[in-house]
Amino acid sequence: MESRKNKDQPIAAVLLGRAFEPDDANRIFTEKIQQRPLFLTPSSPPPSDLRAARRRALQKKTEQRKKALKPKPLSASQRRKLGLYDVPREGQKYTIFEPLHNLWLGYMREILGGEIYTGGEGAAAKLASADFHGAEVEVVRSGCVSRVGIKGIVIKDSKFALEIITRKNNLKLVPKEGTVFRLEVPAPASESDRHQETATAKQDQPSSMVIEIHGEQFQYRSADRANKKFRSHFSKTL
Amino acid sequence: MLSFPAPSVYQASKCFVTCGVMGHLEPKQPPTKGKPWATLTSQDFIHRADLILPQEAFEAVNVALLRAKPAPEFKKVTMSLQDILTGVFFAEYIKKGDVMMLSGGRRGIDNVYSLKHGVLTLFLDKEAYERAGLVGKPDGVKGKRGLKPRWVVTLDLKGDSMFPGKKGFDRLVYAAKNALNTPVTWLFCNTSSTTPNPDPLAQHSPSDITSAPEVSQNIDVAMPVLQPEVEFLTTGHKEDLESFSTEIYEWLSLVRLQSPRVRLGDQIDPFLCRYQAPEAGQAKLCKISWQGFLTPSWSRQTLIDVVTAIPAKTWFSLSTTTFSKGVAGDNSECTILRPPGSGGEYIMWEVRGHE
Repeated sequence: MESRKNKDQPIAAVLLGRAFEPDDANRIFTEKIQQRPLFLTPSSPPPSDLRAARRRALQKKTEQRKKALKPKPLSASQRRKLGLYDVPREGQKYTIFEPLHNLWLGYMREILGGEIYTGGEGAAAKLASADFHGAEVEVVRSGCVSRVGIKGIVIKDSKFALEIITRKNNLKLVPKEGTVFRLEVPAPASESDRHQETATAKQDQPSSMVIEIHGEQFQYRSADRANKKFRSHFSKTL
Repeated sequence: MLSFPAPSVYQASKCFVTCGVMGHLEPKQPPTKGKPWATLTSQDFIHRADLILPQEAFEAVNVALLRAKPAPEFKKVTMSLQDILTGVFFAEYIKKGDVMMLSGGRRGIDNVYSLKHGVLTLFLDKEAYERAGLVGKPDGVKGKRGLKPRWVVTLDLKGDSMFPGKKGFDRLVYAAKNALNTPVTWLFCNTSSTTPNPDPLAQHSPSDITSAPEVSQNIDVAMPVLQPEVEFLTTGHKEDLESFSTEIYEWLSLVRLQSPRVRLGDQIDPFLCRYQAPEAGQAKLCKISWQGFLTPSWSRQTLIDVVTAIPAKTWFSLSTTTFSKGVAGDNSECTILRPPGSGGEYIMWEVRGHE
């Protein structure tokens, strides 16, 4: 009876019959299930002929030739393997970099000029594009507290970190993220002061300009920073 | 026993009620373990202590406590953290002696430093912590940390590594010199029995303060029944115990505040105040209060003295309140009541926050 009828009917028609009226069920079954082709295997690409294969090989060759003409920068692992930026063990001495530091002080005094005494916006703009290789920095504030107190001369200023050599001849790589660095540029002693220095035993310390750099905002290579205009941002984490 | 993890949302302070029996008091060995004594010593710095007695017992306490023993003293001094960590002060008071110090400020808002049993605890905000460079733990409820978390740094100054020249100590001195270098007002209390002879504190010109006890006598109050019924302590009567202890604690707190609501013959419009003092009886009470920078060992000693001075059947109540801790200004408190006619029984209310 009914069960025998159901056995003859396909399952899809039985299920449709439960949900729809018999006319609708039949229509849906014939249109959408019976007459629709069912692909058993995915359509494969047409077999390639020789001409297409030759064309593809030629394209690949021209691309490779173009790539070989463009020089690519070294990747990080290649750099590490070549050891181009490593400082040799004999060179890791603080005393070697002290003359560099004096050069940097001279360079700073030259670009700041009179603004070393007054500071202000002009000085800040010049400092933002200045180069800091050879500066004596101290880490003053950091999200990672073990970095606070590191003091030394900058020997490498890369995009995200500063490489610093400390007085105890240790090389430290300090990330710029979340760190505040402090630099000091002592004002030049004038000629008359120098004569007075020999005469009097006690001398007041010459004034110096103290600069604090927020590493978060400074994550650019020193070459890229030269033309960058810095705008003041309110930092959420300060 | 069970240590629960730090709460992730703000939790209001809770009051824990304990009913127990105080052991026999040995005069030579003051008890340190066990419920009323351990709770008293676990408080950190006590701001206020109140003792409530019936008027008849006042004379005995007056002779034994107030006249026989000197009032607790402490000093107020302005120093910077660097002064504490260097020189004779560090060698004498911190390494050899035992002092308690607390700096001024509110814990959730300013930078507060405290020193107890040689452990220096710094409660810092984000900027001070990042500038100091000392390793610490996050402070405060987890959910509230957000953009500006606060930090706690704990250092054991009596340890072997805390000597000038060692790396850890040098980092602390660097932090004290550069980041935490403002002078703050401290409350200082020397808990050891000896004072070093050229006093290292003298150069900072401390001001000595004595917390003399204030006595108010002959307070006529309406008294409730202070003795709990025996059934309260059985398991089925938890709500009865709860309502009894709440009523007694409320009454004791109002007596501490010397509120007119518990006085005899008080008539106030119930629209203004819904509190009704329990009219089980009336009595004359006296209240002795100390306010200042008190030590938990002093409060424990006071409890022992009161128990030995007072006749065995009289009741008394001792409450100690600490300095406020969090941003909301909650402090923790411990109130002990010995009911009348009992042999060493006590009820203790301990109000404690999670901070």
